[in-house]
Amino acid sequence: MSHATGSRVQQHIGDPLSAEPALPLTKLEEIFKDIQSDLRFDHELNGCLNCGICTATCPAAHYYDFSPREIVQLLWTENLEGIYDAMQEKIWACAQCYTCAARCPFGNSPGGLVMLMRETAIKHGMQSAKNVLRPFSRVMLKLISTGNQLSPDMINRDHFADWGPNISKIEAPLKLLRQAIPMPTLNTTATAWEVNLKTSVELYTIWEETGVLKQLETVDENLFDVISDIMDEKREDWKDFLADQEDEKDEKDD
Amino acid sequence: MNAKPVLIVGGGPSGLAAARALADVGQRAILVEKEPRLGGAPILSGYAKLVPSGEWAKDAIGGMVSAVEGNSLVTVHRGCTVNEFDGKPGDFRAKLSNGVSVEAGAVILCTGFTHFDSVNKPEWGFGTFPDVVTTTQVEQMISSGQGVRCPSDGRKPQRVAILLCVGSRDRQIGREWCSKICCTVSSNLAMEIREELPDCHVYIYYMDIRTFGLYETKYYWKSQEEFKVKYIKARIAEVTSNGEKLIVKGEDTLVKRPITIPFDMVVHAIGMDPNVDNKTLAKTFGVGLEPHGFIGKGNSYDALGATTRAGIFVAGAATGPETIDDSIAQGNAAAMAAFALVSQHAARGVAA
Ligand SMILES: Cc1cc2nc3c(=O)[nH]c(=O)nc-3n(C[C@H](O)[C@H](O)[C@H](O)COP(=O)(O)OP(=O)(O)OC[C@H]3O[C@@H](n4cnc5c(N)ncnc54)[C@H](O)[C@@H]3O)c2cc1C
Ligand code: SF4
Ligand code: SF4
Ligand code: SF4
Repeated sequence: MSHATGSRVQQHIGDPLSAEPALPLTKLEEIFKDIQSDLRFDHELNGCLNCGICTATCPAAHYYDFSPREIVQLLWTENLEGIYDAMQEKIWACAQCYTCAARCPFGNSPGGLVMLMRETAIKHGMQSAKNVLRPFSRVMLKLISTGNQLSPDMINRDHFADWGPNISKIEAPLKLLRQAIPMPTLNTTATAWEVNLKTSVELYTIWEETGVLKQLETVDENLFDVISDIMDEKREDWKDFLADQEDEKDEKDD
Repeated sequence: MNAKPVLIVGGGPSGLAAARALADVGQRAILVEKEPRLGGAPILSGYAKLVPSGEWAKDAIGGMVSAVEGNSLVTVHRGCTVNEFDGKPGDFRAKLSNGVSVEAGAVILCTGFTHFDSVNKPEWGFGTFPDVVTTTQVEQMISSGQGVRCPSDGRKPQRVAILLCVGSRDRQIGREWCSKICCTVSSNLAMEIREELPDCHVYIYYMDIRTFGLYETKYYWKSQEEFKVKYIKARIAEVTSNGEKLIVKGEDTLVKRPITIPFDMVVHAIGMDPNVDNKTLAKTFGVGLEPHGFIGKGNSYDALGATTRAGIFVAGAATGPETIDDSIAQGNAAAMAAFALVSQHAARGVAA
């Protein structure tokens, strides 16, 4: 007997007709527990009227096979397999605009729940998280190492196809263009503005303390290594800078 | 007969029923009604045919009004409220806004509800688009004999959407209760629209259909089988306009896709809010309100219609969303309790 093949459920959860699930129940439970135990969970999920306001109002639902109401229902009914399945693809369609939260008559935040599921997907190093984040590695590199999301020199034809013919405007001599901006701190090309060394070093502490770096290590080890090297370097520079200051001070005191 | 009269505040179905019941057993009543005419919501808001009797409101409730107005045991004060109130069970005194002071042995609050004002839900277009109307407006279109027409240009609508639970079951606007009657009223209106305009398609957007008890076959089933009313399980996200038609955006939750449908007319099935006077009433009469803002019941299984204050009773939609039948039943029950109280006090007075 043959049966339908290739559905996401079968791919990720296993063949419903075979006795062996692809993923043990304990793993599914662990994933749900991670979502549920977050402090925000109880604030963002109060129950559900199944009314569909969230889905009707959701921009992502108009373009993708994604429904915030379905996400809320899966979580509320603790449908472990459905939750895991949704984490393979659907949850990444959300634009995090929170229109759903502004309108839900039960006071839920479907967008917030999607965020919890995303964080859990990253924590568990799910392939979907890796796939989704891969195209953003340039942005993540810039963001984590400098605090800037996008720098002028990242804007080019290859990456901004949707700009159409207007892209030619930014292909003019970048340095010269940037120098035309009256604020000297914006005369930069490799970052959007001049990044203060101390700020960078403080930012690294924030990344470490909030677990961002750990998340990065789980989803993209290569990028993590590159960024760690940059961080080490900058921290060295900062130490040197402080030492120089000390020296100067000593000289003056003498 | 030396029993003091019973003061009834509010002359809607519940207050009329209480007054009539007291008069029927020879007990005097004073009926104080804020508006210039009796009848409550069904008369003041011009409802059409009532659920479930199918009788026109002006006949059915009009009959209740005549029975009270022609009764020598009932003194009616119209366009009037109670300004001051004190005393104890069997011996209350009230000062009315028309300057009259009255004595009463007991009080029944029959002050009803206030219709939800749809402008508080701006994303559903009421107040923005003239062809977005409320169930009360459609009731009035039918009861006035004008017929169901789009207010913008008077045309006959070809597609009508009725949105259920407007002003009910919605935490965003602080109204978590179900208004109980609007599902049935909407099914009824849908059939009336189809009857008047057989070419008009009527859609009802619902979360749950609460045509409880015997209303199920008489409204929910019948409206589909005989009147081809379409039910879509969805709550609407927003009503907009493309300049020509109203655009209704919702999710068809059973098909799981967002849908956008053009309509000529959108009807809000508005819910029942606590009477806007309830805070004042609670203060004047010293009774408690329940958490949603309706008048609180003293108990569920003891004296019928008790409030938190002895000698003051409550009936009808003042206690929460109620149907007319239930409001009438509660009016009768509260009348019984009030009658027992004033009779006991009168008997004691004689014995003393
Ligand atoms: C659109 C719509 C359609 C409906 N259709 C039906 C139907 O077909 N069948 C059905 O069974 N039910 C229907 N209902 C419900 C029905 O309206 C109520 O059940 C009924 O009106 C309750 O009667 P009541 O006397 O308790 O209150 P009300 O009808 O609200 O009467 C209260 C009275 O008290 C007066 N009052 C208020 N405050 C004061 C004050 N401070 N002092 C003095 N007087 C005051 C008011 O002016 C009013 O006359 C409908 C409701 C809505 C919203
Ligand atoms: S936050 Fe996400 S789920 Fe909510 S409306 Fe926006 S895109 Fe849709
Ligand atoms: S809007 Fe809220 S109550 Fe309605 S389906 Fe979405 S989550 Fe459930
Ligand atoms: S009776 Fe029906 S329309 Fe009215 S609030 Fe309850 S569920 Fe909604």
